[in-house]
Amino acid sequence: MSKTLLVAGREFTSTVFTKGFIIGIVLTPVMILIVAGAIAATQLLKGPTPAGTVAVIDRTGKVGPLIQQRFSKEAIDKEVQALKEKAERAVEQLAGPAAQQGQGKVAMSFGQQQLENQVRALESVRVEVLPSDTDEAAAKEPLKSYDVAQARDGSEAGKAQRMLVAVIDKGVLERNERGEYSTYGIFTAAKLDPEVKSRIESKIDKAIVDARVAGDPRASAGKLTAEDLRALLASPISDTKSVTKEGIKRSSGGLKVMLPMAFMLLLLMSVMTGGQYLLTTTIEEKSSRVMEVLLSAVSPMQLMVGKILGQMCVGLLILTLYSGMGIVSLIAFSLAHELSVMLIVYLFVFFLIAFFVIASMMAAAGSAVSELREAQTLMTPIMMIVMVPWLLWLPISRAPNSMFSVIMSFVPGINPFVMMIRLSSTEPPPTWQVIVAIAIGVATAVICAWAAAKIFRIGVLMYGKPPDWRTLIRWVRMA
Amino acid sequence: MPEAIEIQGLTKTFGSKIAVDHLDLTVPTGSLCGFIGPNGAGKTTTIRMIMSIIFPDSGELRVLGRTSAVESKDRIGYLPEERGVYKKMKVGAFLAYVAKLKGVDAGVARQKTMAWIDKVGLHDQLKDVHKKKCEELSKGMQQKVQFIAAVVHEPDLLILDEVFTGLDPVNRRLMRGLIDEQHKRGCTIVFSTHAMYEAEQLCQRVFMIHQGVKVLDDTLSGIRAKFDPRTIIVEPMDAEIGGSESGVATLEALRSVRGIRNVEAVEDRQGVVTEYLLTMEERCSPREVIPEIARVAGMRRVELKKVSLDDVFIDLVTRSGDTSVKREDLRMNAEEAAHV
Repeated sequence: MSKTLLVAGREFTSTVFTKGFIIGIVLTPVMILIVAGAIAATQLLKGPTPAGTVAVIDRTGKVGPLIQQRFSKEAIDKEVQALKEKAERAVEQLAGPAAQQGQGKVAMSFGQQQLENQVRALESVRVEVLPSDTDEAAAKEPLKSYDVAQARDGSEAGKAQRMLVAVIDKGVLERNERGEYSTYGIFTAAKLDPEVKSRIESKIDKAIVDARVAGDPRASAGKLTAEDLRALLASPISDTKSVTKEGIKRSSGGLKVMLPMAFMLLLLMSVMTGGQYLLTTTIEEKSSRVMEVLLSAVSPMQLMVGKILGQMCVGLLILTLYSGMGIVSLIAFSLAHELSVMLIVYLFVFFLIAFFVIASMMAAAGSAVSELREAQTLMTPIMMIVMVPWLLWLPISRAPNSMFSVIMSFVPGINPFVMMIRLSSTEPPPTWQVIVAIAIGVATAVICAWAAAKIFRIGVLMYGKPPDWRTLIRWVRMA
Repeated sequence: MPEAIEIQGLTKTFGSKIAVDHLDLTVPTGSLCGFIGPNGAGKTTTIRMIMSIIFPDSGELRVLGRTSAVESKDRIGYLPEERGVYKKMKVGAFLAYVAKLKGVDAGVARQKTMAWIDKVGLHDQLKDVHKKKCEELSKGMQQKVQFIAAVVHEPDLLILDEVFTGLDPVNRRLMRGLIDEQHKRGCTIVFSTHAMYEAEQLCQRVFMIHQGVKVLDDTLSGIRAKFDPRTIIVEPMDAEIGGSESGVATLEALRSVRGIRNVEAVEDRQGVVTEYLLTMEERCSPREVIPEIARVAGMRRVELKKVSLDDVFIDLVTRSGDTSVKREDLRMNAEEAAHV
């Protein structure tokens, strides 16, 4: 036993204390967080600030003032207020009311602040409405001399530069015989920031719609404003609550959908990382011919069990690290109430089952070949087990208690993944199914380990032509 | 005290190929034995069975008094032919790991490892060698590391497979010294080699297997006596059937030569005498006897048998006709060799 633990210890340390592992497994998520944070921060700091004037050649006589109004302080205040309300609704929708009091608001408002800043920035844009008989070419002339540097330095000269000319013809408000409105023209300075342009454009769009509605006799008779129409047309938002024995709870749609996916991914990732390492270290021991040196001190069984235990610890480390990170971020968004302790316990139980099944197959495949590329053919069944959960995720998370889902949870090999999807879904399976799935899983793991031990014992000292699965099955029968 | 290794009727087949065929072998405790044989003779297979790395199809095997080496692995040191190191592991850590695997306490393991690194001169070859990764070492240095891995736990039985390959003459001598030292400590040593010189220098006893069959098992002095120049090989000019008139006549003629104590006819399967083996009296000199033999009978070849292990080896291998030979013949040849 102590020898097995020694082997496990070496397997673990030699895997974990390598640059590849630390960078790949530990630092990658940290890096992603840092980079994501950095990107968010830079956007917060430096959204393009529009500076300059917008000239509108208004041939309708109606749209120009509406555009000016859209750029007024009151209009922008209103817009910001609407944005805030929308964001709060989104948080509530995703997470439930608890998030509103918690840190969730802080985290959410981070991205929110950005949007508001960008909306606010349009306050400084001045809109001049030019008479309808203005010479277009003359009006466009100042665009040629638009200076980006000057626009950015925040000076008065910069703010006075013309950056955009909008030409609004009568056709924009009056439909032709085919019932269509005509287009309107926008001419911009060559170096104008596209984001600034699109923000100005959307304001002009809205102003035109306002003018169309105001000009429509039906709308004005019925006292309908463009605002009313927009409100009428907005798709309704449901406030979903689920009725449980404990009472009525507000259900949080988004997270509930993501949770099964996240749990499946966690399980797959930790199992496969450990499994892959097991395959490579076994092949390495064979190809570097250190295998027989080891076998002079330990039996093949001790070696295999030690290696599997060592990589199991690697998998557990990854699982703990990533699920811990997930839990921490759920707490940060005040969503921890979505997780039950049992779910985490099940995650580790099904990890162990899935890991022993995959690791046994990996150990068998690794022991039978002398080079990594020879292992490819033997990897096919393992890859199938790993691919199936991807295909099953959607049908099972949609209908966690369908006959199909129940049958899939009893299929050896893939049942840990299926069970994890079902357990983390909105309709967890009955306990008896969980127990049966665990029993089947444990039996599968025992059978796989037993077969792998036989293959391993023969395989570790075999060099030369790599065997196929048929040969491996013969080895299992033989020994 | 039980024998270090006792093997009876050991057989192992791989598919249709018989790797080891009813092998009997005894290695007395405290002896230093050479294990020789041509490539593919079954040496490594035998050693692996002794080490319980693979298991025999039939036959009995006792190692250090136990029926399986699994129970006594910590008392056995084994340097396999297919040997390697963890390339990315540091030399010191690798040796300490192997020592711990063989049951040496963690603290002692490090200490012993360092002492051995000094002893085999690795420190002189490369400063701070224990902190270097194994892949940074030359092949010869790696071999020393592997040797340390085999002996660091002070085993009672040391099995060395092809220990001299890849070593330069200086390190060969060093290795011989180290093996000798282990032997003096009281360790039973079996080493397989293709280097007959080393075997002759070191061994008290030599086993040889060929095509899975033991063809030689004797002390070095015994082999010297058997394959000693007291034996003259005579090949008759014409094919003679053993026991036929002409055959008996030749036999008698040879027996009558002064100084010849015994004459034995070696026959092939058809009963044709391929050669006669003549044993000389102690006092006689081949110088006198050989011309006399040539006088009494028509001979194709008269030859004084040589003694070097190299020749014994080649003789045993070629005598069996090497490839096309049948196993029964091989075993017969082996018995003959034992009786010579």
